[in-house]
Amino acid sequence: MSAASELKAPALEVRRLTASYSSRPALWDVDAEFPESSLAAIVGPNGAGKSTLLKAIVGLQPVDAGHVLIDGKPASENLDRVAYVPQRDAVDWDFPITVKEVVEMGRYREAGWISRLGQRDHELVDQAIERVGMGPFARRQIGELSGGQRQRVFIARALAQEAPLMLLDEPFAGVDARTESALLDLLLSIRDGGRTVVVVHHDIGTVRSRFDWALLLNVRTVACGPVAESLSPDSLRRAYGGSAGGSDVELGEWTG
Amino acid sequence: MDWLINLLPFSYTDSVVFIGAVILGVAAGVLGAFAVLRQRSLVGDALSHATLPGVCVAFIATGAKDASTLAVGAAVAGFIGAAMILAIERTGRIRPDAAIGVVLTSFFSLGIVLLTFLANFNNANQAGLDRYLFGQAAGLLESDLVAMGSLCAVSLLLVALAFRPLKTALFDMSFAGSVGLPVRLIELAMTAMLVIAIVIGVRTVGAILMVAMLVVPTVTARQLTSRLSLLLVIAGIVGAMVGSTGALISASATLPTGPTIVIVGFCVALMAILLAPRRGVLWRSGKLLRDRRRALNEGVLIDLETALHAGAPPTTEELATLSGRPASQVKKGLRDLDRAGALRTEQGRIHLTESGAGMVHALLHQRSLWSAWLEYGWTLDIPDAREPDPRDLKSSLGDDLTNTLLQRAREGGWTAS
Repeated sequence: MSAASELKAPALEVRRLTASYSSRPALWDVDAEFPESSLAAIVGPNGAGKSTLLKAIVGLQPVDAGHVLIDGKPASENLDRVAYVPQRDAVDWDFPITVKEVVEMGRYREAGWISRLGQRDHELVDQAIERVGMGPFARRQIGELSGGQRQRVFIARALAQEAPLMLLDEPFAGVDARTESALLDLLLSIRDGGRTVVVVHHDIGTVRSRFDWALLLNVRTVACGPVAESLSPDSLRRAYGGSAGGSDVELGEWTG
Repeated sequence: MDWLINLLPFSYTDSVVFIGAVILGVAAGVLGAFAVLRQRSLVGDALSHATLPGVCVAFIATGAKDASTLAVGAAVAGFIGAAMILAIERTGRIRPDAAIGVVLTSFFSLGIVLLTFLANFNNANQAGLDRYLFGQAAGLLESDLVAMGSLCAVSLLLVALAFRPLKTALFDMSFAGSVGLPVRLIELAMTAMLVIAIVIGVRTVGAILMVAMLVVPTVTARQLTSRLSLLLVIAGIVGAMVGSTGALISASATLPTGPTIVIVGFCVALMAILLAPRRGVLWRSGKLLRDRRRALNEGVLIDLETALHAGAPPTTEELATLSGRPASQVKKGLRDLDRAGALRTEQGRIHLTESGAGMVHALLHQRSLWSAWLEYGWTLDIPDAREPDPRDLKSSLGDDLTNTLLQRAREGGWTAS
């Protein structure tokens, strides 16, 4: 995987990015690149700036210095090529809205914020819902869904955006092992369809076994590359400090 | 406006009151929904209170007492209040509830001080301003209605036009930002909508109680629908009904307008909270009781089956001892089972009828399916987002998956009962 992916142009590049919350840097001089058609993870301890990095990429977090390139162009010009999936608990799940309406939001930018959704938009919405296995639930109110199903709805909304780059913030938080595995299969199939999928994730074991690429972050870039290289015991120790030192088995089970 | 006033079956004064209350109800209902759904209801309360000093200052500055001039002052003060809440939250890293508390009380105090000052200073002219405290429906002019109505119509039109951006931002602000919506502008627009609703209603309902008209319609509508578009329509209708009913009652019985409207609103919201299908308290507690009853009956049935399996048919007391349940619970369960035709009693000893045996069989099958799921479920490939329901695994997973599950379980040497 690594040899092939290095040949492709990076789908996403972050160059010397610094961003701060009330004068304390959350990201400091971060460099990273993510190859096209890869399933990549952003890992690091709590407070490492993982979510902040995603927000900075899509322009939700003001940036002090540095820049982001999407397909070689400044991110602000290429934002329609990114689909962002926020953390699940960022929204009120009792909000009066159905699964289908949430997924339709993925089409609003393309279709226009006022005009009706066209036939193609509706097809894309239905396809996205089917793709994530939510077909039988399309008309459900979102409050009736389980955590895993809610995550699927968010992924469907991102699919409906038809963007080649998908950024997901902690999609596996609070779901059981079976659901995590099912969601991961889904993300892998999305990657196989040619998209680049970047996921903020905690579980280094899963990243090692199923992801192609990883950015190890702790305010600064600790390592970035194919998982075998970027998640070496040595770089993990540098990111997590002494607590993660020790055998590979321990590291594999480490969840930050 | 004349034709409308003539159309209504009320006196001229009552017609004006009625129309004014309908306009305020629709505006507060629809526009208030955006605050309630963002969990910012109390911002509405703070801004309502904040309008009071604005009204006083507008009066001092212009000497005018007509609703429209004073409304401008109210709006300006409302915006200043909103800006201050934001500023306190942002700069001081203070939680929203504290910021709301600070702004609400300080603006309201300023308003009261100004009202008292005006009362001492110029008794005659002050008369009328204190209606902004508790509200008064009487004294609205036809020209005020036109101004209120136009403001309301324009904001509703904007809500309709910007429905998708509003819905998207309301549900998921960070997603909205990521697809290029101007979220700051939308937040500002939502605050403006709130101020407009307050300004339209504050003279009739009063600064202290205005928040009720912003919240009650949405609370009621949310009980009745799970679609935002429909919720806005219902909230508008509920607002209009509550406002006009309350205003007419207060006018005919010479009661204070604001409190009367709010009491009517409270009754409506209470009914919706209690009686609404699916979300209502009554419906949900009924369901809870039914579920508990079902769990009890199933438990007693299984206990009876176990007892029959172990020896002679038990008496009620023996069954209670065997099952370890309180005798009263066992009796209750047996009564239900008897009514369902599952039992046959001979000389105080309980037997299962044929249909009772069938029920036991179905129940045991369901339980064994769930155990099979717990043990072998992980081997199944579920093709979509289906999730198993322990009470009815077969219909929640589907027949195919259930059969595969049982097959896996048998292969694993597992025996279903």
